Amino acid sequence: MRESLRRLALAAVPALAALAPTAQAAPVKIAILETLSGPQASSGQAFRAGVRFAIDRMNAAGGWNGEPVQVLEYDNQGGPAGASDKLKAAIADGVHIVVQGASSAIGGQITEDVRKHNLRNPGREIVYINVGAEAMELTGEKCNFHHFRFTANAQVRTKALVGAMKQAGTLGTKVYAINQNYSWGQDMERAIVDHAGFGGYTVVEKTLHDTNKIQDFAPYISKIAASGADTVITGNWSNDLLLMMKASKAAGLKVRFGTVFLDQPGNVANAGETAIGHFIAHAFNPEAGGADGARFVDEFKAKTGHVPVFVEPQAVFGLEMVAAALKATRPVNGALVVNQFAKALEGTKLKTSMGDMSVRAADHQVLMPMVVSVVTKDAKFKADGTDMGFKPVKVLTAEEAATPVQASCKMQRPD
Amino acid sequence: MDTIVFALLNGLIHGLLLFMVSAGLTLVFGMMGVLNFAHASFYMLGAYFAYTLQGLVGFAAAVVLAALLAGGVGVAVERWFLRRVHHHGHAHELLLTFGLSFIIAETIKLFFGNHPVDYRVPKSLDFAAFAIGELQYPFYRLLMGGVALAMFVALWLLLTRTRVGIVVRAAIYRPRMAEALGHNVQFVFMGVFGVGAALAGLAGAVAGAFYTTNPNMALEIGVMVFVIVVVGGLGSLGGAMAASLLIGVVTSLAVGVDRSAADLLALVGAREWAQGIGGLLTLKVSSLAATIPFALMLLILLVRPRGLMGEKN
Repeated sequence: MRESLRRLALAAVPALAALAPTAQAAPVKIAILETLSGPQASSGQAFRAGVRFAIDRMNAAGGWNGEPVQVLEYDNQGGPAGASDKLKAAIADGVHIVVQGASSAIGGQITEDVRKHNLRNPGREIVYINVGAEAMELTGEKCNFHHFRFTANAQVRTKALVGAMKQAGTLGTKVYAINQNYSWGQDMERAIVDHAGFGGYTVVEKTLHDTNKIQDFAPYISKIAASGADTVITGNWSNDLLLMMKASKAAGLKVRFGTVFLDQPGNVANAGETAIGHFIAHAFNPEAGGADGARFVDEFKAKTGHVPVFVEPQAVFGLEMVAAALKATRPVNGALVVNQFAKALEGTKLKTSMGDMSVRAADHQVLMPMVVSVVTKDAKFKADGTDMGFKPVKVLTAEEAATPVQASCKMQRPD
Repeated sequence: MDTIVFALLNGLIHGLLLFMVSAGLTLVFGMMGVLNFAHASFYMLGAYFAYTLQGLVGFAAAVVLAALLAGGVGVAVERWFLRRVHHHGHAHELLLTFGLSFIIAETIKLFFGNHPVDYRVPKSLDFAAFAIGELQYPFYRLLMGGVALAMFVALWLLLTRTRVGIVVRAAIYRPRMAEALGHNVQFVFMGVFGVGAALAGLAGAVAGAFYTTNPNMALEIGVMVFVIVVVGGLGSLGGAMAASLLIGVVTSLAVGVDRSAADLLALVGAREWAQGIGGLLTLKVSSLAATIPFALMLLILLVRPRGLMGEKN
């Protein structure tokens, strides 16, 4: 018995040696470094659903270099400290690409950590695919070659929102800016002030408040009423948006809301009829997507059981661009050279049901079409099982939606 | 003027709601000497129970049932969990309730998902009570305040005017003596724990419809409730009431104050200097509104560690 085992082992050695060249062909590893637990887990899980969907599609089409792309999940527990820890774990596991979206605070940490890692470990670079962190600094002071943002930002969202609301004749001349007090909310406030000339309004008052900590928005609503505003523009998400809608309904406040995240599941159902007439600037609306959009919706629904909403479409589009860039990158000794992939990604173009997408090489901000929609009862796709939904009022092409490169972005490119 | 009246009213009602949740916590602490980390979970359970039941039995009955069910869960927790670890000391009880709060939150997510559920104020209660200036004041807020006040009065009378109250107070202050006199102290503990949980459940059932019902609501209110119990004095019902109202009104008023420390320094002609420094000195009070309760807690712990009306140090 023992003898036969030894013989077997001896026989295995040449067999293993013969396998060696193919064993070297390392599969591409993508890390999803998301908020998968804690209070904001619902946002993180939405990003994960979109990313997973796109990667499954990529693998169904053959993966990369004849092998399926591997996905590893890491839970950043909703904070920059957790994200930093888990990024180290991901790097130790040999990932090439890190994907994250929920929270600009976490995004800011990851992009800095990735930049430092790449400086210290030439030849073992990683790329950060940002599918949702929209603070300006990520393509401004913190911009770096290995960060790509596949979502809009505060300036883009505000420009689209203001333009469409003005065109629809519902913007008014007095705007109230209420936002969360961290990088994203502060950027939204600045963007709302910056677009005052473009929208022909005055900002009657600006409020920054604690992020997702406030239970009672009634005091804020009475402040908005006292200001006499026609429209409230806000970048609030999660509870901060929901509670504000509910409080404004309870007080009978008659203003329009221009929002960024009203399509987060649960918002429309909870706000009820209050939501009617409010606007949102988002990356995808199935009603505006025509036949291609319907096909995407059907495929997504078949896989996940629901229509793509909230941040899911932008995550899918982002990862589809990653897939296209991977396809264009040839393996070197069977492995992925991350810098070559990053350069390929800079030149990648994608046609989605909304229009053409591309990456701007100067700051790695994606140029993507935006849709501005309004909540009505005659929308084709209903939200949250209610009789209301988002009806597109304006589709902006990538060029129309784009805002200029920030002067603060000084990107160091590898040779 | 309208704004100030509104802010005061908003603050008072929100304070009353906070009191509904903190009443149970402070009673349980007074009785068992342990901070119940799972207390806010009963608040969440109440909201989800009421949400589930309202389709079957109507809103009013659902709220009452939800409170009873939350109380039942509280009784079960005391009877089969806390009592077993009681002789290991307070640290074990604390850890047990801490773990329990996670289990309850995850169970809720398992059944109802991660997003807020569609639990709303019923149409028949969804109207304006009165209007000041342009703004309406929702009737439901008054109802929430009324429920909280009724609860406070009922609890107060129960504890100070009835035989049950005498036994409960005796069991709290001198458990061994009460036991020697033939009272079932274990039963009293279980009862108080259950009532505390039921009160939190009632608050959740009422407030969940007005605010949101989601798996994080325990976390959101939990921290504030601890602050109230500490500020009011651990174990003091009156203290909890005073602290709730104080925190409710102060936060509400602070939202309307767009001044910063730089404006204060302007009185001594140092505005330029303050603006040059920036940071904390130019931060508006309104953006700090949700942080003020914590500053208040710090202040109380520094100058009066037993709280506003606490008896124990």
